[in-house]
Amino acid sequence: MRRGTFVRWGVPIAAAAVIAGAMGAGPVIAAVSGEPTLPERTAQQLLADAAAATSERDGIPPMSGTVQQTASLGLPALPQTGSASPINLLSGSHEVKLWYGGVNKIRVAMPTQFDETNVIVNGDQVWYWDSGDNTATKVKVKSGTDVGRHQLPTPSPSDMTPQKMAADLLAGAEKDTAVRVTNNAQVAGRAAYQLVLTPKDESSLVQEVRVALDGETYVPLQVQVYAKGSAEPAFQVGFTQVTFTPPAAENFTFTPPAGAKVQEQTLGDDKAAEQHAEHAQETAQGLKTVGEGWTRVAVLPFKPEDLTKARTQQPDGQWNEGADPGALLDNVLKSATPVSGTWGSGKLIKTKLVTALLTDDGRLLVGAVTPEEITKAAGIK
Amino acid sequence: MSTAETEVDVRRTPGLVPVTETMRTVEREPGAAPAGPPAAAPPPSRPVAAFWRLLGSELGLTFRRPRNQVMLAVLASVPLLIGIGLRIAAGDEAVGGLIGAVAGNSLMLTFVSFSFLVLLLMPVSVAVVGGDSVAGEAGAGTLRYLLAAPAGRTRLLAVKYLNAVLFAYAVTIVVALSALVTGLVLFPVGPVTLLSGSTVSVAEGLLRILVTVGYVGAGMAALAAIAVALSTFTEVSIGAIAATMVLVIVAQVIRAIPQLDFLAPYLLPTWWTRFDAVLRSPIDLAALGQGLLVFGAYIGLFCSIAWARFTGKDITS
Repeated sequence: MRRGTFVRWGVPIAAAAVIAGAMGAGPVIAAVSGEPTLPERTAQQLLADAAAATSERDGIPPMSGTVQQTASLGLPALPQTGSASPINLLSGSHEVKLWYGGVNKIRVAMPTQFDETNVIVNGDQVWYWDSGDNTATKVKVKSGTDVGRHQLPTPSPSDMTPQKMAADLLAGAEKDTAVRVTNNAQVAGRAAYQLVLTPKDESSLVQEVRVALDGETYVPLQVQVYAKGSAEPAFQVGFTQVTFTPPAAENFTFTPPAGAKVQEQTLGDDKAAEQHAEHAQETAQGLKTVGEGWTRVAVLPFKPEDLTKARTQQPDGQWNEGADPGALLDNVLKSATPVSGTWGSGKLIKTKLVTALLTDDGRLLVGAVTPEEITKAAGIK
Repeated sequence: MSTAETEVDVRRTPGLVPVTETMRTVEREPGAAPAGPPAAAPPPSRPVAAFWRLLGSELGLTFRRPRNQVMLAVLASVPLLIGIGLRIAAGDEAVGGLIGAVAGNSLMLTFVSFSFLVLLLMPVSVAVVGGDSVAGEAGAGTLRYLLAAPAGRTRLLAVKYLNAVLFAYAVTIVVALSALVTGLVLFPVGPVTLLSGSTVSVAEGLLRILVTVGYVGAGMAALAAIAVALSTFTEVSIGAIAATMVLVIVAQVIRAIPQLDFLAPYLLPTWWTRFDAVLRSPIDLAALGQGLLVFGAYIGLFCSIAWARFTGKDITS
């Protein structure tokens, strides 16, 4: 071997090291710069400040950014479904782009390869654009009903925004939760407070829930749910990039392009929706809960045949291959473990975060609790 | 590297050009003392001129070679075929998405053509030129004549890689031009509808095509770096070409397996298709920038591997 050979091969090795360093640098820098950059706050001060900032500004300040949602619930491998299916959100990683100009100016885009789905809200106009089938849908909301964003005909990507999730989670934080605040988190390159909620009950599968609030604007930037015994969050939704400048106005103007199919849809008007509402009400009446707080277990009457019936009720092929609930259920039940006890017998499905028990007497129990706890709940009728 | 080393090594294989010899031809400035710095104005300008002359002759060889001309012609014909196919199918309502958009606008054909070609046919042609670059010369026995001339190994490698990059851009431009001309003939001209549902003017549409050409060309240049690097390891050019294509196809297979999704951001083909960022409103510059960074990383890594291998290799043929 010539002396120069080592020196020469040092160059590509150095190049590889630099590239590996650059790839790993992001998380490392965030971890190293752990010293507090924000003044210390207690949870109460933080929430009060956040509430004050929110009411002062009349909501969230104008902003835009990229929201990423990642779930690794440890579910059995789900069949691949269309990009727009809500079932897809249960596994893998998803990204949406968000432009927020005010309560009446919202654009959410879900980019996929060579396609894009958009929901654009501008004043009283709501457009849903799907480049895949070249269709623009003008969504009208029946007067008298509230404009709930989840009422949009999509599995509305806006449900994934941290704002909504944080609000939901904070509402649930009560006496059975230990709350603490850290002031050295970094989300999307911004210094943030992190509200850490730890369930006090041992039988909860949730290790902790972390809500990151921007240090300057108090806008929730990230929500992470950690399952017991895993270092990576089981569920995470948060900004990977965010700017607090008003987005350009053209983001919120939408005119259907020439050649596109234009449809109109009125929400709260069609019969299918009413039927859905009725069905939901029925289900809600049958719904019971056992336990309190983090270990609450929902019990609802459930028969696998119901889903098969639902399948036949959708003759227009509204379900994709994989999104068919019946087929999905078959798939999930295959990996379920049969259990039995004094309460009867059933099938247990365990994921990192949620345990579900389908009893043979037609009840479905769901909760973020250990299998022991859910079988205990099954005994309470 | 002492001079004694070559003097001792008298009984060498006939035709072998040891690395020490050509290394010295590189460093030796004509007429200058071995230890002295480069004299004045003329010597530095001469290597530069020689470099461009060498590159010019390389480009001439590449583009005059019938094989490469046929490849360019095949690439140019694909947008034509896609265009004719879509023109015939234009009546069908069923087609949607990017393909459906072509019927309404001529410029979209360019993006559709890229989306088809960027995954296999363009990489094949770039791999052929890149993989042939060094191995082809070695196989034909012409590499040692190239090195006998005081061209220098580093400079020769730079010329070879630059040649492959220019061919990669030529491939991209040929596809874009062919698609543009076909589109203009077969489909109506007008404002371009983007994936986001908004429309931009024809001029901006053309500008976005230009951005796409730059981005896709850079992606192909990254593949060319891999091909040139593999080319320095063999004397059989088909070996380097096949190895490059195997890498491309393995990357595509990995991309198709959902369980290996976490690997996708490190693979070139993932980023080749990201040119769809120009079709969004506003242009997703972050995605393009990240893609260019990935291409740059590939180019840096594989060019340095090629350099380390080529400058340290005894040429035996």
